[in-house]
Amino acid sequence: MTSTSIAESVKRARRGVGPAGAGRKPGPAPAGRARKRFTPRTWTLIAFAAPSLILLLLLNVYPLVYALIQALHDGTLLETGPFVGLKNFGDVLALPSFWSATSFTVVFTVVGVFGSWLVGLALSLLLRTHIPAGGLFKVLLLLPWIVPTVVSATSWNWLVATPQSPFPVIAEHLGFGNVLFLADPMLAQVVVCLFKVWISFPFMMMMMSSALASVDTNVYEAAKVDGATGWQSFRLITLPLIARTTFVSWILMTIFCVNDFPTIFLLTGGGPAHATTSLVLLAYLTVFQNFQTGPGVAIAFLMTFVLVVISVVLYRQIRKVNVE
Amino acid sequence: METSRFTTSRRGFLGLVGTSAAVAALAACSTGGGGGGASSSLKFWNMPWGTPAFNTLDSKITLGYKPESGLPGATYQAIQWANFNQTFSSALASKTGPAISSGGGTQAFQFAKQGFIAPADGLIDSWKSNGIYDDFLPGVLDTMKTDAGYVAVPYNLDMRVNWYNKELLEKAGATPPTDWQSYLDAAAALKKIDVYGFAANGNASGGNAFQMIVGLMINNGGGIFDEEHKPNLVTAANIEALEFVRENISKGYMDPAAISYTATNANSQWKAEKFGMGFDVPNLAANVGGASASQLVVGDPLTSASGKKGALYFPNNIMMYKNTPSQKGSEAFMTYYYQNMKALWTQNTGIGLPVLKSIAATPEFQSDPNAVKIVKMWQPVAKTWAAPGGTALFSNISYVDSTPAISDFGQNVLSGKSSKDALTTFQATLTSLIKD
Repeated sequence: MTSTSIAESVKRARRGVGPAGAGRKPGPAPAGRARKRFTPRTWTLIAFAAPSLILLLLLNVYPLVYALIQALHDGTLLETGPFVGLKNFGDVLALPSFWSATSFTVVFTVVGVFGSWLVGLALSLLLRTHIPAGGLFKVLLLLPWIVPTVVSATSWNWLVATPQSPFPVIAEHLGFGNVLFLADPMLAQVVVCLFKVWISFPFMMMMMSSALASVDTNVYEAAKVDGATGWQSFRLITLPLIARTTFVSWILMTIFCVNDFPTIFLLTGGGPAHATTSLVLLAYLTVFQNFQTGPGVAIAFLMTFVLVVISVVLYRQIRKVNVE
Repeated sequence: METSRFTTSRRGFLGLVGTSAAVAALAACSTGGGGGGASSSLKFWNMPWGTPAFNTLDSKITLGYKPESGLPGATYQAIQWANFNQTFSSALASKTGPAISSGGGTQAFQFAKQGFIAPADGLIDSWKSNGIYDDFLPGVLDTMKTDAGYVAVPYNLDMRVNWYNKELLEKAGATPPTDWQSYLDAAAALKKIDVYGFAANGNASGGNAFQMIVGLMINNGGGIFDEEHKPNLVTAANIEALEFVRENISKGYMDPAAISYTATNANSQWKAEKFGMGFDVPNLAANVGGASASQLVVGDPLTSASGKKGALYFPNNIMMYKNTPSQKGSEAFMTYYYQNMKALWTQNTGIGLPVLKSIAATPEFQSDPNAVKIVKMWQPVAKTWAAPGGTALFSNISYVDSTPAISDFGQNVLSGKSSKDALTTFQATLTSLIKD
């Protein structure tokens, strides 16, 4: 089969045209078919699907609608309270703490997504080479992802919290003086972001490894024959070929980072002086510690809106990659 | 081929599925009395106040309850601290909550405001004839009394008291402090041997430095709320107390990393003998453990710059709910529980300080000199979050009971913000949060 005929077959397949003919022409369906759309079989299928659909509606739509109701009311955990419209959203957007949390969430997410992607990609490329005990390395590298966050957060706290902890001791020996990793606002942000990269890179490594595994090695050999350098091969072959998986992993990691509560809560609790308070933590504190249900849920809604926008943008990139 | 007699048609199967789903949904919707109306037993929910042994023994005490004829028995449920506000709120909203529970220190006051709490006045009156009423430590019962009556019954006490490491103080050539000036002197001596004399843990979620700071404000005759239950923070007494804290910080008596410390980090510093003196929880020595624990001693209540004594304490409590199979049954169980809870202290389950004199008088409790000193010397001068305006707690105290607002206040003070600025910011935050 020639490449032209393959491309034609793919096009036909996308149009839903079988090999035997042109299929049904576009236009309204025959009247007889419309009448038979809801056959007993269709009803049976709907009935089978209904329990799952109802369950999904109850599990997803109901909480969402209830949360929206709370966001539009001035209530507590026990009472919905009076209707206040969009006031909670306005109040939240006027809060300096909301914008400082937004700012940190952006930093945390950008570092978390791209930091973990870079480390994950580098390790997945390394693991493609023939290194001794590669399987063992893979398992060891997965540990940060596997270990419960509460355990790793405790370990990181032990590593950096007090002047007698290993990292401050090393820093002092290196001549940096008494480095306050969690007490200094800027350093606390750095530590939290690094911790996020550390617990997330195995996920990226797995995603990138699976994407790289699907790349035909003959392409690299051909590029080598054509005189391509390693960097050119990586930039012009590897990255485009794994682009789809990369975008998917970015979408997922963005969601993971924006919604990440335990990493920050367990390591710094959002401090010092709110330096590491993210939006999800602010929403939690607002609802469950300040007992301001409406504003807290409004923060969560704003987060969801931004996440949807980011996901749509990245998803469009995936479609673009598919078309290309 | 022989077919089963129990073959089911597709329509029949779907019908069965539909019926099951409907029954399940109706059952879920109709679940009514928890603590509870439809239930025949009283639900008692208690928090993990100590080691795992606490809930085991507590469950045994509860299940050992033999009600009088016609009154309900009791069931036991341990509720974890994680998201406990949500646990109780959702249970009460769905009428599946307990008939009796402990919980957060201000929980009863919040729920009373929303009409969920059964007043304990009748119960407390009945205790005047059986000796329980007179058995409470002085002033403790009053902390639960509101205009609408007693919303709960004191159960155990938490407090912030002055601790020092005896050996380190001796090594530094200092004497145990008795007032703020001698505290600063002892801290200065400790600094000379590379030990911090002003222990603190200011972590935003796992620290309690704000409690120590408010304790010092109360020590100086100040506090958060006035007689009208309104925040009144920018006072001379509070500024003076914060200046004492700032002096400790500026002179290097506080570990500069303490602003990020959790209670666990602070415990490890006590254990490593990097902390030699400070204000901490009553069970500090047990929390620290190891060889250092035996050196930790509770000091005397300090006389402040204004010549006053005082401390912050938290009367944890047990509340009764209106959603009960029998109010008489709830009160009968409470009486049984208070007459039989002594073992929770004598068997050393890690629960806070007792509220009953008879428990404090047991040989087991008397064997711990630190605990005895706290009950004998600190409890009489200690006040609640309601100070200086009042004694009894009230619902708006929930805005300062380990909330972001007060945690921020603590971090602002520890980070060196001026006393007046820190108090003004806290005042503004509380005023914006408290609507009534």
